[in-house]
Amino acid sequence: MNKRRLWSFSFTTATLVLIPAAIGINYIGKLFAGVLKLPLWLDSIGTALASMLSGPVVGAISGAINNIIYGLTMDPISFVYALTSIAIGITVGIIAYNGRINTLWKSIIAGVVVAIVAAIVSTPLNVIFWGGQTGNVWGDALYAYLIAHAVPVWIASFLDEIVVDFPDKIATMIIAFLIFKGLPRKLILLYQSGETIEKLD
Amino acid sequence: MKKIIVENLKYRYPLSENLALKGISFEVEGGEFIGIIGRNLAGKSTLCQALVGLVPHFYKGAYSGNVEISGMNVLENNISELSKKIGIVFQNPFTQITAAKLTVYEEIAFGLENMGIEIKETIRRIEYVLHLLDLEKYKDRNPFELSGGQMQRLAIASIIAMKPEIIVLDEPTSQLDPQGSEEVFKAIQSLSREGITIMMVEQKIEKIAQYADRVMLMSDGEVVDFDVPQKIFLRDDLLNYGVQAPVFTRVCRSLNIKNKNTGLYPVTLDEAYELMVRHEQNRS
Amino acid sequence: MAKTLSLYVERNTFIHRVDSINKILYVLVSVAIPLILPYKFVAVLLILISISFLLLAKVMRRVIPLIEFSVIILLSIVIIQGLFHAGNKTVAFHIARITFYKEGLSYAFTLSMRVINILLAFAILVLTTKPSELIEALVKKGLSPRFGYVLSSALQIIPQMMSAVGSIMDAQRSRGLETEGNLAVRIRAFFPLIGPVVMGSLIETRERAMALEVRAFNSREKKTFLNERQNLRSDNVIRLILFSILSLSIVLRVLL
Ligand SMILES: Nc1ncnc2c1ncn2[C@@H]1O[C@H](COP(=O)(O)OP(=O)(O)OP(=O)(O)O)[C@@H](O)[C@H]1O
Ligand SMILES: [Mg+2]
Repeated sequence: MNKRRLWSFSFTTATLVLIPAAIGINYIGKLFAGVLKLPLWLDSIGTALASMLSGPVVGAISGAINNIIYGLTMDPISFVYALTSIAIGITVGIIAYNGRINTLWKSIIAGVVVAIVAAIVSTPLNVIFWGGQTGNVWGDALYAYLIAHAVPVWIASFLDEIVVDFPDKIATMIIAFLIFKGLPRKLILLYQSGETIEKLD
Repeated sequence: MKKIIVENLKYRYPLSENLALKGISFEVEGGEFIGIIGRNLAGKSTLCQALVGLVPHFYKGAYSGNVEISGMNVLENNISELSKKIGIVFQNPFTQITAAKLTVYEEIAFGLENMGIEIKETIRRIEYVLHLLDLEKYKDRNPFELSGGQMQRLAIASIIAMKPEIIVLDEPTSQLDPQGSEEVFKAIQSLSREGITIMMVEQKIEKIAQYADRVMLMSDGEVVDFDVPQKIFLRDDLLNYGVQAPVFTRVCRSLNIKNKNTGLYPVTLDEAYELMVRHEQNRS
Repeated sequence: MAKTLSLYVERNTFIHRVDSINKILYVLVSVAIPLILPYKFVAVLLILISISFLLLAKVMRRVIPLIEFSVIILLSIVIIQGLFHAGNKTVAFHIARITFYKEGLSYAFTLSMRVINILLAFAILVLTTKPSELIEALVKKGLSPRFGYVLSSALQIIPQMMSAVGSIMDAQRSRGLETEGNLAVRIRAFFPLIGPVVMGSLIETRERAMALEVRAFNSREKKTFLNERQNLRSDNVIRLILFSILSLSIVLRVLL
């Protein structure tokens, strides 16, 4: 059968139009978390959805452009965290390929994997720019406690990050899964179909 | 000259089981206004998209048959090339805004910039369509700040600026309020007067009766009938296809008021009115 | 309501008229030089230069919201590193019974200068450049117009979606529905409201993609631009200056 390849670098118009929508969803998640004073970021739901619909490459690009735009309009340091967003896009894209995020449990497991990847990529950035902190109150409190007890900066920083990433990425993947499940078949087919026209008869 | 030639067109969407178009053939002359009717999922939108090349180039899937638009083969030309000959307007005005331009003026320019039209000509065309679609007042507005009817006229203007010979309208007023719909129908009439060939899918059957030179009745991926509105609306099995004849036709039919020359029932208000007056005069 | 996401401040100054590509180059040079010449005073000097440009552009006041978030983190870094940095030996001062150390403070100072320098250079770019001009300049320099579209469209669609959600949330709050209280309750109250906006934005991509295709989005013709920016003579001079400064700093690095 004619199906889109995992590492497709062909950007159809539909995949390009998906990117701004994904970034808009990231922003909505962030707003939602802020207004409801949730102790989470929820700022990569759109990136995850782009990956689930259209694969790791489109997901990664959505993540990167998300941070570029956030950097240009809110907080310039967000630029460097484009690397984390790219990693999230790629990870979700790979896991989602062949419909491997199709139950609530699987989406939770995907959330755990994504959290670990995100923390691994973010930690060096946190160390370079913030001496290892993340800017999240709970994470940074843990960090301060750990380095006060002579735990190496890298480990303290990784733990600072992952304390926040675990609940955040699990919630992100659950929400993305619930939204994806509600999308019309027409739309999912559009993104999954291959690149050639068959001849009938 | 024939503007549209469709020969035995068959199409199946990717990863789907059934054919959405099952061997369609018809021809359309330049300047004609064609109405397309039929129940939900009859394949009307798929046919529209096949005329502009979205089927198969955008969707891929499985395809056979032959579609020629002003002498251009759809399968052999890409959508951008075809857009010089044929344009399309969809239901939802909101999704047709590029969302990348800040003013109505720039929005209209989008397609022309992509086609590489030189700036002087671009400006000339923008001024022309702003006037034709009565959008001059809004040229510096953000497209998102327009009303539904204005937005849909902007979508039409953006297509007309590309100078197509044919325009396809897929339920262009189904998401508009009554006032917006009227604005858009007026705009469509002015396109027809400019000599543009029109194919319009529309649920409001009175509008089809009023504008269409010929009506195409579709069902289940096939063209059931393609004829002048008076003949289409005479069919007894119309309701089986989810379509009801215009109210004037039904009234005159129940009163047995016909056009003496053609022997057919009227389809528009004006026609019905005239025949009724004559009918009354004859009786007295 | 509907507007593009941007920090651009309209003013009629020389800085505003500088070619956007040059402003990007300025950011790159400002980020590169402290890496090439890793001395505290170099970062401080660059910061002072950026501040004078921001003053010339009459946008200094708009810088504050842009750097606010980072500055708060930097303050917490000063405190945490000043107290707990691994290399802490020399006492700097005491506040109440808490001791701050020189090594940690010095490390925090270096980090802060690095971050603030980047922030200010960026501020010049984002506060004095219209996003649409920036994107068009990049497209003319060879960025694919299709990706140029993605950037412009994101800048328009984000505020569009945010204002849709914002008005739903406001309506919800004014009806006294829960924004407080139990977490689960708060989430349950908003999911059904925001869901449709999110789903809608995804569903719309199919039709928007079709609408773009029929407007020659994938055309292979050479694109024209409705808004042509006149190149200024100063553009090349500025570019030359930037490259000279960068080269000079590399030469200094090799010599020192
Ligand atoms: N993008 C798509 N992917 C897969 N199948 C599709 C797609 N679009 C339409 N179909 C299928 O093709 C057939 C024809 O649908 P089409 O949308 O052309 O009908 P329609 O006459 O325009 O209906 P409506 O009145 O609802 O607009 C239907 O069976 C539909 O399910
Ligand atoms: Mg339809």
